[in-house]
Amino acid sequence: MSQRRPWTRTLRSALTLILSGALLTAVVTAGALAQGGKTSLIGKLEGPEVVTDSAKWPKAFKEAPQLAELVKAGKLPPVAERIGQDPLVIKPLQAIGKYGGTWRAGFTGPADFWNGFRCCSGPDHLMFWDYTGDKVLPNLAKSLEMQDGGRAWLVHLRRGMKWSDGKPFTADDFVFWFEDIYRNKDLVPTPSAAMAINGKQGAIEKVDTYTVRFKFPESYFMFPDVLAGATDLAGQMWGYRALGGFAPAHYLKQFHPKYVSAAELDKKVKDEKFDSWVRLFLAKNDWARNPDLPVLSPWKTVTPINTPTWTLERNPYSVFVDTAGNQLPYLDRVVLTLAENLEVLNLRAIAGEYDYASRHVDLGKLPVFIENQQKGNYKVYLDPGDYCDLIIKFNLNYDADPEIGKWFNTADFRRALSLGIDRDQINETFWLGTATPGSVVPVDSNKYNPGPQYRKLWSTLDLKKANDMLDKIGLAKKDAEGYRLRADGKGRLRIEIMTLGGQFVQYTQISEMIREQWKKIGIDLKVQEVERSLALQRTANNEQQLGAWNNDGSEHLFTFPLHVFPYEVAAVATSGPHYAKWFHSAGTQGKEPEPRMKELMEKWKRAFGVPEKERIQLGKEVWKIAAEEVYIIGVVGQGPAAMGVRVVKNNLGNIPSRMYNSPDGKTPGISRPATFYWKN
Amino acid sequence: MLAYIGRRALLALFTVWAISVLSFAIIQLPPGDYVTSYIAQMASMGSAVSDEEAQALRLQYGLGEPMYVQYLKWMNQIVRGNFGMSMEWRRPVIEVIGERLWLTVAVSVSALILTWALALPIGIYSAVRQYSAGDYIATFIGFIGLAVPNFLLALVLLYLGFVFFNANIGGLFSPELQDAPWGGAKVWDLLKHLPIPALILGLAGTAQQIRIMRANLLDELRKPYVVTARSKGLPERTVVLKYPVRVALNPFASTIGYTLPYIVSGSIIVSLVLGLPTVGPLLLKALIAQDMFLAGTIVLLLGVMTVAGTLISDILLVWIDPRIRLEDT
Repeated sequence: MSQRRPWTRTLRSALTLILSGALLTAVVTAGALAQGGKTSLIGKLEGPEVVTDSAKWPKAFKEAPQLAELVKAGKLPPVAERIGQDPLVIKPLQAIGKYGGTWRAGFTGPADFWNGFRCCSGPDHLMFWDYTGDKVLPNLAKSLEMQDGGRAWLVHLRRGMKWSDGKPFTADDFVFWFEDIYRNKDLVPTPSAAMAINGKQGAIEKVDTYTVRFKFPESYFMFPDVLAGATDLAGQMWGYRALGGFAPAHYLKQFHPKYVSAAELDKKVKDEKFDSWVRLFLAKNDWARNPDLPVLSPWKTVTPINTPTWTLERNPYSVFVDTAGNQLPYLDRVVLTLAENLEVLNLRAIAGEYDYASRHVDLGKLPVFIENQQKGNYKVYLDPGDYCDLIIKFNLNYDADPEIGKWFNTADFRRALSLGIDRDQINETFWLGTATPGSVVPVDSNKYNPGPQYRKLWSTLDLKKANDMLDKIGLAKKDAEGYRLRADGKGRLRIEIMTLGGQFVQYTQISEMIREQWKKIGIDLKVQEVERSLALQRTANNEQQLGAWNNDGSEHLFTFPLHVFPYEVAAVATSGPHYAKWFHSAGTQGKEPEPRMKELMEKWKRAFGVPEKERIQLGKEVWKIAAEEVYIIGVVGQGPAAMGVRVVKNNLGNIPSRMYNSPDGKTPGISRPATFYWKN
Repeated sequence: MLAYIGRRALLALFTVWAISVLSFAIIQLPPGDYVTSYIAQMASMGSAVSDEEAQALRLQYGLGEPMYVQYLKWMNQIVRGNFGMSMEWRRPVIEVIGERLWLTVAVSVSALILTWALALPIGIYSAVRQYSAGDYIATFIGFIGLAVPNFLLALVLLYLGFVFFNANIGGLFSPELQDAPWGGAKVWDLLKHLPIPALILGLAGTAQQIRIMRANLLDELRKPYVVTARSKGLPERTVVLKYPVRVALNPFASTIGYTLPYIVSGSIIVSLVLGLPTVGPLLLKALIAQDMFLAGTIVLLLGVMTVAGTLISDILLVWIDPRIRLEDT
C-alpha cells in the first residue's frame, strides 16, 4: 500500500515532522504534564441528570427569544403546546443557562456523520445511559415496562410530544417503521440482531396512541440496554440504513411504494437523480443529509453534511427542557466546518477556532494544546475511556501457513507474546503516560470487570518467563541473529501484524515499537500498514495474522462485543472470521471454536435472556476467559487516545470536568450538549 | 493547415476515449469497491454490515455487474451529460465538483499569473546579464524554490501564520463568510486568502520557468541574427525583446498542454495541507473511498484537459512559428 500512495506517506511524515517540531518547543509543558499535570487534566466524572420523577417536572415553559417572536407572529404554536404534557427534563450540571450563540467545530466530510450524531442528536434514543454510562434511564420514552417475564416490553411515549415539523410522535411511527421499513426486504435485507433474542425475531405492535409493545418469543432482559446503546434501535442516526426503531411515518410515506403509485414514485426518483426508490427513501430518512426530515433531536440539520459547512439549528419542537422549564438547547446553532485533513483540524483547534472539540483531536499534540490554552482561550480536559486503547488480535483461524496458525492456537504462545511487551514504554511514548497498561478487561469500576488481578494477568513485562514458555512449547531453536526457528524446519518464524494509518491511535508506530521489544524474545515481527479497504478484504479472506486495533465500546460487553471475541462479520482486525460465521449461523457455517472460546460465546449469548444479577456474573466470566486465554492481547488502556482530548472554550458553561467516553455513550452526547451555554 | 487541425482533432477524440477506458480501469484496480470501503468505515465505528446488506448495497450501486457493463452504463450516462451520483457525497457528481472547480481555477490561475509575472522578467534578466551578481542571486533563489517541496512550505507558512499573525487556519474563506452568498464582501475575502496559496503553488513553477527562459534565451542570444541586429545599431532593448525573446517563448506555448490540467490538479497536496476547498482533496478522498463515479469523472476531466491543452498548444505553435508550419505541410 505504501508503494501505491507514496506521497501521502511523505506528506504524513512531513506533517508529523512539523508538528513534532512544535512539540519540541513544548517540551517544558510536557515535563510539567508528566509531574502531576495528569491529575489536573483528568477531573471528576460528572454530568447532567435526567429527572424521571414527574412530580419534580416544571409546570411552565420558557423558550428562546427568536422562537417567542415566531409565536407572537402566529407562525408557531405556544411553547407548552410544542413540548407536550411530558417533557424530557434534564438537570444541567452546573447552572441554568442562557439562550443564544453558536457552537463551532470541525468535521472531515460526508463519512464523518457520527460527529453530528454525537454532539447534536440529543441523544434521541428511547432509553439512554445516565452520565456514568452504567445505568439505563428513560429518554425519549417516558418509561419502559417489562411484561410477561421479559418477553414483552411496553414503551410509554410522552404525551403531546412532536416531530420537528409539529406533527405528533406516536405509536404509529413505530408500527410504520416495523411493518413498512424494517420488514421490507429491499430496505432491510437482513433482520437486525437487536430485534431478536436467541436468533428469533421480535415484533412491534401498537397498544394505543402513546403506547407501543415490543414482543419477543423468549425473555429479552437485555432490551433496555439495547435501546440505550449504539445499536440498530438507537434512533434516527441509523435512519439512512432504514434502522432505528421508529421513523416519521407522515413524512416518509410519500416515498414508499406501499403509499404512492409506482409512476409517481418513479418520477420522484428521476427528479432527484436517484437510481432506485430505495436510495431515494434512504436519503430522505437521513438525519445528517435531509434538512426536510422531521426529527426529535434538540438540533436539526439545516445545511447537510455533504456541503462545506454542516449546520444544525434548534428544533422548535424539542422535548428537552431544563429544571426551570427552559426549552433546550440553549445554543442556537451548531456549525461544523469541513477540514480537508486532520492536521488542519488540529491546528484550528489549537488556534482556538473551535468552541468545543474532541473528535479527531490528536493526543500526540497534547503539549501543544496545553501550551496554547491561554492564547486560544480554551481549557484542555482528558476523558480516558473505560476500555483498551490498543489491542492485538490473533487470528485464530489463520490457515495460509499452518505452522503459524498452530502457534496462534497455542495459549502459551499468545501469553508469552503478551509478556514480551513493555507496556510502560508504549504508555510513556504514545500516551504521554496518561493511560493504564494491562490486559483487555475494562476499567476496574466496570460492572463486568472480573477483579483487579485480571488487569495484570499475562500483561506485565516478563522476558524470562516469556522466553521459557516459548522454549517449552517447541520454539527453543534460534538462528544466528537470535530469532526463533519454525518447528517445521522452514527457517525463521516470521509473523506479521496488520495496521491502519490515519486513525485515532498510531497503530503502525506502536507496532514498530513492539517489533523492537519482541526481538528480545526472539520473535520476528513484520509491521504492515494497509489502507482500510485492503484491511477489510484481508480479514474477510482470512489473510490477516495479527491485527492492531482498540476495543472501545467493549466496556458495554453485551451491546458492543465486536472486540471481545470473533463476533464481527466485517472487521478491520479479526480474531477469527470462521468462528464469527459459526457464531452467527448457530453452528451451521464456519468452524467450531475450541472449548474455552465456545464457553465464552455461550456465556455471552446466555446473558441476554437472564435477569441483571445473573448477567453481571456471566459478563465477569466472559472477561475472565478472555484474560486467561489471551485471544486478544491488551496493551494499554483507559487512556484518552480516542476522542478523549477535549478542547473547550473557557466561557462555555455546564462542561463536565470528566465525562464517560465511549461510542455507546455518544460522547459528548452523554453530557447533554443541549445544556451547554455561553456564560458571556 | 485545416487538414492538420482536423487530423489532430480526430486523434484527440480517440485519445479521450482511450483515457475514459483507462480512467475507469484505474479506479477498478485497487482491491474492493465503494461498498468494501463503506463497510470498513462502519466497522471502524463499531457497527457491522452483514453480507446480505453488502450484497444489497452492491446491487443498488450497480457494483455487482461485470466491468464492461458498468463502463458502458457510465459512458451512456456521460454522453447524456449525467456524470452519475457520488457514492460518498450522495449528490450528483457535477454538483460536487462544480462548486469546487471555480475555486480551484481561481487558485491555480493566480498561481500561474504569479509564476509568469515573476519568471519571464527574471529569466530574461539572468540570460542577458549572465554570470552577473543578479543572475547568481536569481539562480540561487530559483534552485531553492525548486528544491523545497511546496507542501513543506505550506506547512511552515501555516504555522508561522498562526504563531505570528493569528491568521485563520486553512481554507479560502473566513468562517463567517463560508456560507454567505457570493457578493463583494465574499470576493474580497477570497482575494485576501488567495496570495498565500498562490505564492506557495507558484514558487516551484517560477524557479523552473526562470531556468527554462534563461536557457532558451541564452541559446538565441548567441545566434547570428542577434549579432546582425546589434551590428545594425538597434538599441539593446529592442534587439533582445523583439526577436530572441519571442523565439524563446516557444517552449511556453508547448507547455500549455500540461498547464491546463495543472490548473485543476496541480494543487492537490498544497490544497490538502492548507485545507483549500478545491478539487485536489476531493480526488484524493474519492480514490480512498473508491467513490468511482466521482474519481472517474475527475480523472477523465484531467485527461480531457490535457488533450485539449495539447491540441491548443499544437495549433498555437503552428500559428506562432512558421518553421513548424513549413515542416508539417
